[in-house]
Amino acid sequence: MPNLPRKKVGLISCSGEELPEGTVTRRAVRKVLETLRPDDTVTLCLPLFLAGGEGERAFARYYPTISVDGCDKRCAALATEKYSSKPLASIVVTEIAKESGYGAIGTARRLDESGLRLADAVADKIAEETDRLLKRKPKDTTRRAGREGS
Amino acid sequence: MSGTRPKIPVVPCSGIGKSLGAAAREAAYVLVEDLRPDKTRIVALSLLVLGDEEARREVAGGEAVAIDGCKLECAAKGLACSGAAKVHKIAVFDVVRRHRGLKPEGVCDLNEDGLRLARATADEAAKIVDEVDAEGGHA
Amino acid sequence: MSAAILELAVDKFLFRFPPGLFYSEAGIWVRFEGLRARIGLSDFTQQRNGDVAFAEPKEEGTAVRLGDEVAVVETIKVNLSIPSPVDGKVVEVNGDLLAAPELVNQDPYGKGWLAVLEIEDDEAARGALKTAADYLALAKAQAEAEVRR
Repeated sequence: MPNLPRKKVGLISCSGEELPEGTVTRRAVRKVLETLRPDDTVTLCLPLFLAGGEGERAFARYYPTISVDGCDKRCAALATEKYSSKPLASIVVTEIAKESGYGAIGTARRLDESGLRLADAVADKIAEETDRLLKRKPKDTTRRAGREGS
Repeated sequence: MSGTRPKIPVVPCSGIGKSLGAAAREAAYVLVEDLRPDKTRIVALSLLVLGDEEARREVAGGEAVAIDGCKLECAAKGLACSGAAKVHKIAVFDVVRRHRGLKPEGVCDLNEDGLRLARATADEAAKIVDEVDAEGGHA
Repeated sequence: MSAAILELAVDKFLFRFPPGLFYSEAGIWVRFEGLRARIGLSDFTQQRNGDVAFAEPKEEGTAVRLGDEVAVVETIKVNLSIPSPVDGKVVEVNGDLLAAPELVNQDPYGKGWLAVLEIEDDEAARGALKTAADYLALAKAQAEAEVRR
């Protein structure tokens, strides 16, 4: 069993070369890893996972994971479940995009401004799920007037 | 004549943990969108490995190109198990050794060295594509 | 090597430390073969520094003191100057690394060895190095510090 100095959440994103939503997943996951929740997350490499990467598969077996997929084919979620265990949260970018009214977001190779904003929105969602899985209070990034208590 | 042939599948590893994976992904885009748009198309590795029928049909019985970042060769291994008759392998790692001194950085946004490596990798992959195309080896 | 290999898991990374070897603080392993010392990068060192693109030990005949550069290893991320873990003279270098530097990553304690040095006093050399258990403790502290950074 992997030994962690503190509990972390594994983020596994689809590789999604064919769709801009796939590129959104990569950008969002890296943002969470590098900026939003650097102490609380690790990324699991899907290609390595599929090819038998023991570190990736062992981590996903014992620690909570969030799969982040570009479309409803849900490769990351399916692979995690198939080779380790079911992710505790599954995010699909096309669903978020639809709910939030995003239209065109650029190409798989280069996201446009709208695509970059969508990536930020997905990153926020991942961070929220990370907090939930780690049973942490959400990090307050907005000023809330008149708030009492902690 | 080549306009009626199916396009040669190109499968990048797109590893998210290293800049080499990002360079492999970018190399695939350079190849498929800039250098050989009439002869190639990208097929997602994860769809292939997870058995997506449409993806598998793209590679079944023909030749394909795997663009890997490092020597773990995840894309080449995945392609080999997905019905391709022959897998042509190229790894950004090997291209790095032919362009000593380049230090690729970044995963979402490659630095200049990373973009140069991607371009160099795509150039080498384009030669492979031309050979396959000349031999008529795709599905 | 019949004793179980020591392992350290940090995040998703698994590091291995064969107990029959000795280790310098810089993460270079040493296998004593009589008055010869075979050296290479520990699993911890190679994983930390990334894919090896070039591994260039000093040429045969080069005399080195403990701490002198005995090899240069260029990875995708960094250029490493490898300090010798012993006093000695380079008598053999791993020629396989010319064509296949990835052996350092794939098989750091086996086919990925860097060089063999002739030494004069193996007991003194051992005394300056760590056992696998001690090196594991050092690696653990370094890995956890990095993860927290």
